[in-house]
Amino acid sequence: MDPSEVEFLAEKELVKIIPNFSLDKIYLIGGDLGPFNPGLPVDVPLWLALNFKQRQKCRIIPPDWMDVEKLEEIRELEKREEAFTPVPSPYYMELTKLLLNHASDNIPKADEIRTLVKDIWDTRIAKLRLSADSFISQQEAHAKLDNLTLMEINTIREFLLDSLNCMYKLRSNLQPGSSGRTFTDF
Amino acid sequence: MSLPSAPLSDFMVKVVEVADSSQQKTLRGHEAPVLSVAFDPKDEFLASACCDGSVVVWDIEQQTQVISWPLLKKTNDVSNARSLCRLAFQPSSGKFLAVPVESKVHLYGRGSWDHAATLSDDLLSQPINVVSWSPCGQFLAAGAVGGSLTVWDVSSKLCVERQKHEKGFSVCSLAWHPSGRQLAYTDTEGCLGLLDGVNTSISAVDQAPTKKADKDFDDLFDDDDDQLMDEGLSDSRSPAQKRATRNEDDDEDDDFRIPSTGRVKNRGAILDDENSLDTASLKFGEDKPADEEDAGGPVGPAAPPLLPSRPVYEGPLPSLPQKAFQAGSTPAHLTHRFMMWNSVGIVRGYNDEQDNAIDVEFHDTAVHHAMHLTNSLGHTMADISQEAVLLACPSTEELASKLQCLHFSSWDTNKEWMVDMPKGEDVKALCLGQGWAAVATSALMVRLFSIGGIQREVFSLPGPAVCMAGHGEQLLIVYHRATGFDGDQALGVQLLQLSRRRKQILSGEPLPLSHKSYLSWLGFTAEGTPCFVDSEGVVRMLNRALANTWTPVCSTRDTCKSKSDHYWVVGVHENPQQLRCIPCKGSRYPPTLPRPAVAILPFKLPLCQTTTEKGQMEEQFWRSVLFHNHYSFLSASGFEVDEDAQTQSEKEKQELLMKMFALSCRLEREFRCVELAELMTQNVVTLAIRYASRSRRMALAQRLSEIAMEKAVQSQQEEPEEQEEDLQYCSVRRSSEFGEAGLAGGRRVSRHAQEEEPEKNGPQESEEEAQTNVNPFAKEAVSPVKQSVTPVGKVARANPFKVSATGKSSVSAQPRAANILDNMTSSRKSTPLSGPAAKTSKSPVLKPLAPRPKTKTQSTLLQMASSKAKKAEEDKEPDLQKQAEAPPPVSENQRPKTGFQLWLEENRKSITADSPDLDETEVIREAMGRFRVLSAEERLSWTERAKGQDGDAEGKKRKRPGEQQRGGAEETTAHESGAKKKKALESSSRLSAFAFNQN
Repeated sequence: MDPSEVEFLAEKELVKIIPNFSLDKIYLIGGDLGPFNPGLPVDVPLWLALNFKQRQKCRIIPPDWMDVEKLEEIRELEKREEAFTPVPSPYYMELTKLLLNHASDNIPKADEIRTLVKDIWDTRIAKLRLSADSFISQQEAHAKLDNLTLMEINTIREFLLDSLNCMYKLRSNLQPGSSGRTFTDF
Repeated sequence: MSLPSAPLSDFMVKVVEVADSSQQKTLRGHEAPVLSVAFDPKDEFLASACCDGSVVVWDIEQQTQVISWPLLKKTNDVSNARSLCRLAFQPSSGKFLAVPVESKVHLYGRGSWDHAATLSDDLLSQPINVVSWSPCGQFLAAGAVGGSLTVWDVSSKLCVERQKHEKGFSVCSLAWHPSGRQLAYTDTEGCLGLLDGVNTSISAVDQAPTKKADKDFDDLFDDDDDQLMDEGLSDSRSPAQKRATRNEDDDEDDDFRIPSTGRVKNRGAILDDENSLDTASLKFGEDKPADEEDAGGPVGPAAPPLLPSRPVYEGPLPSLPQKAFQAGSTPAHLTHRFMMWNSVGIVRGYNDEQDNAIDVEFHDTAVHHAMHLTNSLGHTMADISQEAVLLACPSTEELASKLQCLHFSSWDTNKEWMVDMPKGEDVKALCLGQGWAAVATSALMVRLFSIGGIQREVFSLPGPAVCMAGHGEQLLIVYHRATGFDGDQALGVQLLQLSRRRKQILSGEPLPLSHKSYLSWLGFTAEGTPCFVDSEGVVRMLNRALANTWTPVCSTRDTCKSKSDHYWVVGVHENPQQLRCIPCKGSRYPPTLPRPAVAILPFKLPLCQTTTEKGQMEEQFWRSVLFHNHYSFLSASGFEVDEDAQTQSEKEKQELLMKMFALSCRLEREFRCVELAELMTQNVVTLAIRYASRSRRMALAQRLSEIAMEKAVQSQQEEPEEQEEDLQYCSVRRSSEFGEAGLAGGRRVSRHAQEEEPEKNGPQESEEEAQTNVNPFAKEAVSPVKQSVTPVGKVARANPFKVSATGKSSVSAQPRAANILDNMTSSRKSTPLSGPAAKTSKSPVLKPLAPRPKTKTQSTLLQMASSKAKKAEEDKEPDLQKQAEAPPPVSENQRPKTGFQLWLEENRKSITADSPDLDETEVIREAMGRFRVLSAEERLSWTERAKGQDGDAEGKKRKRPGEQQRGGAEETTAHESGAKKKKALESSSRLSAFAFNQN
């Protein structure tokens, strides 16, 4: 899976915008959107929000969690906890990236938020690597990780699968004929 | 003699006489910056602490050191000193000098300057910053770096009180309340705190004020204990003054964090510091009863708070009149403020060191792009409309008060004009309407201008203006009618119509505000109904249908989570019913940054027992009535009215009535049923009659039929006039609107047609196709079917052809009955949709008797479809249209006849014989009169006969779907069980849709 595909999925997330035009309800396969009243917040998918934003048709209201204090809290918790902590949104990284890239003028303290989310991401990826490491070194057959987001799984998937395949090959070469352990059960 | 002394960082202490700064005395000898100084109460000595580690006592007169103790750690600067080392002499006698030394306090005897005692506490480990003697000199309080507060009894050297600052900030100042009961402190983070109920067992100080003060403070500080009090407070004796101080402090304190938010801690306690004078008095009035109650009368004399010396007056107190304001603006003293926020746009004002500017922004950028203006004139008031921005500034010493208008919609190149007010006249309030602007001035005048800058009418107001609002051609002015008492404001309201026929609709009636509140928003709904909000958060709307009374429609306070939260109203809409406002946490006004988001609140009339279903329906009904008043107003004042929406709203009302009717029927409240029927339109009354007769309430049906007849006569009389009126404002419908309502309606009607006229299947299917082609994305399952009275039933039945198959089960009862209502709605709907042509073609004779138009299903189907998807259908229309206009005779027979009709048929001849020159309408009227004269039994028998016929007709009708059923798979044996049986079941099941849903 490509990161861009994950990002594509993330674009279905709803965000609040304040349009500066008026339009009746629009009917789309994914559901009805609107009506759009200038000055009144309305929920739309991210892709539409970004489209409007690029055409300067709206202001985006950042999600609740996109707030320096809340993110700091999450970061601290993430650092403190051994396991993965629940994240504010299943697409927090993608949302942050897209919103900050396209609508940073609508988000107060955009730079701080970018740093904080990056910190959280780094901490989580470090944890992920660590757990992958211990998983392999302890030669476990399966492991369970909670609260991972799609993007995070996506970043580790390729590496993990390849390396496990490699190791399997090496091992089966070591013991020809033996069925050995299967590491490929995921 | 007051001698402030100034410790200077050039290592000296200077003593200056305040009265004439002539006598300066300089005390030299310190070798580092001086930390603190303290006078002894007799002004002989001065103690100072210094960063060089010494504490020195000076003789002021001789400017010499009396004694010096090396007590402290040496540092090179005040900022590096571990402790502030604030010294303190015991008050009055000055017997001891208290010196904080690390975590202990040394007491030195005056004169001898020997170490008399050391006060310490085991729990105190941090250096002490500040010490303070209680007013009686018996206690010593110390505040330490870690936030500890300690109080010692000096005579016994025992610690009597220990407190820890909640957040552990260092205490940097302490002050005792003169009563000795409370201790105010500030910390290094800029917070002000109060330590209440300090355990000092002194009774020397008068008890009464103490008690009162306690009460006040309990009241004031109920939610924030560790905040807000400053030293100055302890001196102010009058409670009102205290409150005022407190309010200012409060705001200062808050401004520190949120620069533009006036923060209010206590509910109802108030405005903002801008109004702090009002505040004090309003608040006082509010508290007074409580005070008296608590303290038992004599303790809290109800003297005017700001003039304590005046003789005691125990009557009601005049409240300060509220100042003029612009609705939708935040207070003028804020550096960043909203000068106006309305449905058109936002005007923001900045007034800080760098910039004095105004930003104008439009919600809809199609109106105009955003503007940035430099505010060189110092405008404080603004209004914004689709045409212009109006700004005004108060007069200064040199310059007159000015009115500036940015008329951006002007088509010439001059987009701006400015007018100076006459000397001594200040603009107090302003507003914009359509094509005009109005300004209220301090000379109690209202000046009207055209939007291009022509001066128009001038008229006087009976009192100082408070607020103005404009909408279209209406001007709403609120002014002070008189002096209010006990916190109430006495406001009057004028509503003027500035159209060609000028008239005053409201001429100075009192504005009904909540008790002890003031006006906080004034304006019009988007549809043009006057509306206002008071400081208690109650939204009131003018009810034009009820002799221009004001009806409370919403209380924003009910939705607030916390006492200190408020909603700042920015707009009211009647259709859809929306109260647009900005939620403000812990304040009355939103800050400009971060940009606040608008929230929407629903309306709710304060009716009784809204938890019961009856109460709910009543509330809905009356709300619906109130919020649709604007249609009649708009049409009366010659505006185009969206007829779709109007019929929709009318239908909504009738549906609610019908539901209430069904509920009352269930509850065996027949009298109530009749009352409800009075409110119904004639169509719905006939429906109600059927409901009543089917549920075997003959007496009720009888009464209802009388009502129906009266209504028929009425409507007949009104008919011609109505038609004329209708023609006058022929509405323009948006033909391109593929609104969901229209779609759903069209689909619904076509479904009917399939059920009842299966033979018409061919064209209908093609039509349905056409509809879906129009908008392939409009999902049937997703888009809510708003029209249906019982949406459950609608959704439950997916296949229209299944009707007869499921006809017996109780489940199908609802969907069946939904038909009736649908018929009712569609029949009415068809009236406006078909336009004036259809109206005129309708025979006036038949109308009152047969409320449903001929072949209703067909015609409505066609009309719905045509209105909605005209272009797509054009080619298919003609032949269908013909059918609709010339309905087949079969369907004619299907129309059920009422008893009266039958009677009429038989007796028409005799009537015409009696008076041959009558025309058709008059014949009917005559007949009606005669029919009413008949006895009840006779009438009943006619009704019975009519029912018999009706049943037959229906039976005939019902057979057809059975015969022509196309969906062979769905055909079951149950089907053949005969039309009669089905009919009976159906009739009862149809009506059960209205049944009040008990679970």
